[in-house]
Amino acid sequence: MAIDQRNLSVLANFCAAAADAMAFTLMRTAHSAFIKETEDFSCQIVSREGLAFTSPRQFGAPWYSGIDYAPLLRHFDDYEEGDICITNDPYAGNVATHSPDMHIWKPVFWQGEIACFVVGHIHNTDVGGAVPASLSRTLTEIEQEGLRIPPVKLVHRGEMNEFVVRVIRSNVRMPEQNWGDLNAQIASVNVGERKIHDIIARFGFEGFVEGVGQMLDYSEAQARAILTRVPDGDYFFADYADEDSPGGRPCRVALTLRVRGDEVVLDYTGSDPQLSSALNMPTGGVERHPLVMVGLTYVLFTLDNSVILNAGTLRAARAILPEGTVVNCQPSAAVGMRSLTCAMTQIVTVGCFAQALPDLIPAASPGGNAIMNVKTSARNGKPIMASIGPVGGGGGGTPFCDGSDGAGGATGFLRNTPIEISEAEVPIRFRRYGLEPDTGAPGQFRGGLSAVMEFEVSSPETVVTARNRNRSIMGGWGLKGAHPGAVSQFARNPGPSEIQLKNTDLVKCDPGDVIRVVGPGAGGWGDPMARDPEQVARDVAQGAVSEACARADYGVVLCHGAVDRAATEALRAAAPRRKALFSHGAERQAFEAVWTPARYALLTAFLASAPVGWRFFLKHQVFDAVETAGPLEDMPAQMEALFDALRTRYAL
Amino acid sequence: MGYRIGVDVGGSFTDFAVFDEATATISSLKVFSRPDAPGEEILAGLDTLAQRDGITAEDVSYFTHGTTVGVNTVIQRNGDDVALFTTRNFEDVLQMARLKIPQIHNLYSRRPDPLVPRERVFGIDERTEATGTVLTAPDREDVESAVAAARKAGCTGIVLAFLNAYRNPANEAEVARMIAEIAPEMPVVSSAATWPIIREYERTITAVISGYVQPRVAHYLDRFETVLRERGVACPLHITKTNGGVMGIDQARDECVQMILSGTASGVIGAGYLAQHCGFPKILSLDIGGTSADAAVILDGTPQYGVGELIGDFQIHVPSVSVSSVGQGGGSIAWIDPLGVLQVGPASAGSTPGPVCYGRGGTKPTITDAVAASNLIGHTPLGYGAVTVDHAAARAAIAPLAERLGISIEETAANIIEISVSSMYAEVSGLTSRFGIDPREFHLFAFGGAGAMLACFLARELNMKGVVVPLTPGVVSALGGLIADLKNDFIRTLYIDVTEAGVATLAAPVAELQATALDWLKGKQGFKGEARLSLSADMRYLGQSYELETPLDAADLSVAAISEAFHTEHARLYGHADRDALVQLVNLRLVVAGATPKPRIAEPDPATGPARPVRHVTAHFDGTAQETPVYARADLAPGHTFDAPAIIGQDDTTTVVPPGFTVTVDRFGNLVITRKEG
Repeated sequence: MAIDQRNLSVLANFCAAAADAMAFTLMRTAHSAFIKETEDFSCQIVSREGLAFTSPRQFGAPWYSGIDYAPLLRHFDDYEEGDICITNDPYAGNVATHSPDMHIWKPVFWQGEIACFVVGHIHNTDVGGAVPASLSRTLTEIEQEGLRIPPVKLVHRGEMNEFVVRVIRSNVRMPEQNWGDLNAQIASVNVGERKIHDIIARFGFEGFVEGVGQMLDYSEAQARAILTRVPDGDYFFADYADEDSPGGRPCRVALTLRVRGDEVVLDYTGSDPQLSSALNMPTGGVERHPLVMVGLTYVLFTLDNSVILNAGTLRAARAILPEGTVVNCQPSAAVGMRSLTCAMTQIVTVGCFAQALPDLIPAASPGGNAIMNVKTSARNGKPIMASIGPVGGGGGGTPFCDGSDGAGGATGFLRNTPIEISEAEVPIRFRRYGLEPDTGAPGQFRGGLSAVMEFEVSSPETVVTARNRNRSIMGGWGLKGAHPGAVSQFARNPGPSEIQLKNTDLVKCDPGDVIRVVGPGAGGWGDPMARDPEQVARDVAQGAVSEACARADYGVVLCHGAVDRAATEALRAAAPRRKALFSHGAERQAFEAVWTPARYALLTAFLASAPVGWRFFLKHQVFDAVETAGPLEDMPAQMEALFDALRTRYAL
Repeated sequence: MGYRIGVDVGGSFTDFAVFDEATATISSLKVFSRPDAPGEEILAGLDTLAQRDGITAEDVSYFTHGTTVGVNTVIQRNGDDVALFTTRNFEDVLQMARLKIPQIHNLYSRRPDPLVPRERVFGIDERTEATGTVLTAPDREDVESAVAAARKAGCTGIVLAFLNAYRNPANEAEVARMIAEIAPEMPVVSSAATWPIIREYERTITAVISGYVQPRVAHYLDRFETVLRERGVACPLHITKTNGGVMGIDQARDECVQMILSGTASGVIGAGYLAQHCGFPKILSLDIGGTSADAAVILDGTPQYGVGELIGDFQIHVPSVSVSSVGQGGGSIAWIDPLGVLQVGPASAGSTPGPVCYGRGGTKPTITDAVAASNLIGHTPLGYGAVTVDHAAARAAIAPLAERLGISIEETAANIIEISVSSMYAEVSGLTSRFGIDPREFHLFAFGGAGAMLACFLARELNMKGVVVPLTPGVVSALGGLIADLKNDFIRTLYIDVTEAGVATLAAPVAELQATALDWLKGKQGFKGEARLSLSADMRYLGQSYELETPLDAADLSVAAISEAFHTEHARLYGHADRDALVQLVNLRLVVAGATPKPRIAEPDPATGPARPVRHVTAHFDGTAQETPVYARADLAPGHTFDAPAIIGQDDTTTVVPPGFTVTVDRFGNLVITRKEG
């Protein structure tokens, strides 16, 4: 059957049904809470060439809609019916992005020919390695991050490769869970294969293959139509993760967005060299790697909710990912926490588009959504390890409404863990879980409130980890006259003898210790003095904004909960206004006073000329030297002298 | 001997199912609904029954009713201003929900506004541990000030949802008692009394919905009761439940969440009963109206149950007959998107203004218009004369789309049908995957105004065994309420290891649950017959993070029996079990049911001659013109069989059968439509 304008939706519906069926099967049969509660997985159907053309409509991680399996598919040229391949190797095929993500793919044959592949991944709770759950910022090599399976046929012509299964089982901490989840993945691709067979029976092989091409073309046309509405230009934005290593320097992610007609280039030149910590992104320089396209995907969908997301969506875009940087690391850099860095790529993408479309783009959610884990023991000595949920900031303020509270924007896809589940399974007692007042940055539309979690530990030798936490040094930013976001907080024993844990992501506790974590504040949108005073009064009534902040930040004077119009008008008239498109916190302003874009440009060029293995070291040498000497008036000369000294000293 | 009556009030029509206890047969009646004056339709129906069948109010021995008033209150957000009392420092539970935002790729996306805004949530100084130990008991003064604040905020009711109340409801009960003294006029809903499940958000939202709809539902039920009593109906009144059972009207007034989905659940129960009775063990029910299309999986007459059914923007977490929305119904609008691709929905013309061809103000082409433009409906009187089909108007509405696509009106209509069917296919396919069933083993059981119109097209895409259209599709929901059993669910969270020591602690809670269940059935519901108790447990291997509901034999609660039941269930679902691993029992569940009398389904007189069409029309199937016979359903009798294409008209629906099928009338008068052999 020929597929065209009349019936393209029919094929699209059938394919969506197949992807949904894969997701439902996975969720129904999976074993780990990561899949059942958090929904950290993907199920997709990709073309013979490897381009994802259909994803489940409601479920799964939102990053992979445009994934390209081509580099991975090429690992075999002898696919046979009944094969299922597997890998979790971030350095083979540019599809897996850290070791817990186990990807599998299965060719779907029709009368001896491959029609497409059914694929998917799940995040395994643990794949062995140096630390429980396999992930920590402090790890420095991929080898510490657990089991690494190169692309291999897990099932060959319907026969399970038992050796691969034994390797997996003997390298992980909870083999039953991995085994249960792996079976769920296999069931999922098998259901996908069956559904595709039904579809081909209905549309014919040619009709199906052509239709898949048209589905990709359709999404491409949708994306291009949106991009033509974005003014041409070069837009630059950079942002910083707190530390490039424990106690280290800020980690910069920089992006120049070049919009030309219906195409965009995302040039990540200026991003930091790859790190001796686990923040690196293993993109292999693939120009449409999903990890560097997440922000673009969000922006396109936000501008037009009718867009069908698939690999066609990304055809109008390509990324420049300099080798040996955080956005394209070389082996064997550790990559476990690439999601922290990925969040930064989303933020800088939103920052670039905000310059192009200042009346449409919201402030970015701040990123750094801490995934809280507790490793402790029960009274009988039994060890217990559990995720007690994400604690992050809200969504950024938008041009039309406040940001979503507790989680929103790009970090709104995770589900939390109920307090009652955590208390039933882990011997800790929660003292507070909710929304922290005054954490949504003021604006005409304020940022969403941050989540706050406070709990008391009851066993000795308890280890609390806050994976992915960020923004404890430099906060998120506001737009169009709004305030920037506050920094996140992490403290032990809050109160007079409180210990600030700063940017640590791991803390040892004893019975009676209380841990408090507050997500980073989300930036607002628009001048807070333009916010409807009645809405501010409502914020105060709801406990979202304190009366003091209503007055100081919004210029709203309340009297017994009601707006004092005259006093408010007077206060607002005298209030200073922010003129710049972006508003940044004091920490970032101080940092950027020294580390200007010009200084960074010189550093980037210098580091690019050095061998990859030297760059992280040299960056720190330069930062140390600039800190010692202070910024000199002739910045280029200062930097050149510094570089010369380093070249001489290390014979570079 | 008397008459048992079930009534289902829909948007346009109200259906009556009447069960004659003397003959154990069912008859039906349809009257117009009166959204302007609820209750009037019921009186109108009783009038007609008196005139038509000589049934008087005194003859009515049992009355059940399914209503959508609860769900509509949430959807329209016109419930009461209730307050929520939570454990202090956990007041944001409704705003946080489960964090995830509705559209994960949309940077503007926000969770829906909570039913209770934050300024009406008040923290209470109280705390219960996960083990059930009370750490802090509520303090009278603290509660007094919260009640005063709630009053000041204009609240008319209070919902209590404290942390870990599923484990020990003492603090909620104590605060409820205090409020009864402090503010006796305030109705109180307690989360532990509503449905004591672990997970604070899920338990809280379930109780909040119950409290939110309570006054409106109670008012509606009061009126319903008054109307019937004034008419002289003296028998007990029952309301159909979300769990597919029924309960007395007094319980419905107090526990509104138990009847919130009473309308949709009854349809599924009715379909299940008819299908089972007529020999269809595996069916998918398909109920399509003007604005909705719902499907459910039914095995051996028993619907599948789930938790988390959608009520407007929210989910309720009581055990519910699992019904999935699979589309927007016959009113979905066809359009061409900016890239020139034909699309159907999600916008819908609904029942008002409705499809263009019904001539009630609709101007945009809908699925129903596509069916009309294909000349597949409108050849026999529809909707008891309330609906006429204007074929020319339907064609005219589709013509602009056809012009833009450069194809004929008939081809365009065929594509609209195909797209909408493929969209339902996608949803039904998701449903079958969720329950892990194979649609090829199932019949599609079609009812609702438009179910039979589209069922064959959908069954064809799903490769189903066939389609069943009952004799009177309109009465399925009313019948469901009539035959539903008295039924209630109970749950108790225990967290015990399945060891000798652990199992030894099981006897007491089991006995307690059984006593509570029997008290509900025999005491509160006044049921005289035999009680059916079904015990089950949510269990897992120690260390797993999810549970499987496993049926248990209450007579043998030994370690061996309980463990084996779980291993077997695990193996059935996942293909493997670990018989050496320790099993943990998390929740105990008990379902109590009291069977109501069941009618037999009438077997009409068999056919005496071949089926004769009332006329032939030129209809378009899949864009191709076909000379098609039109049959009147009233003319068809058991034993008739004929090949498609065919159109079968009856008062409340039109069955459209595309080529490639054979229609048979079974001994119950059902149309059984299967793929033609070869």
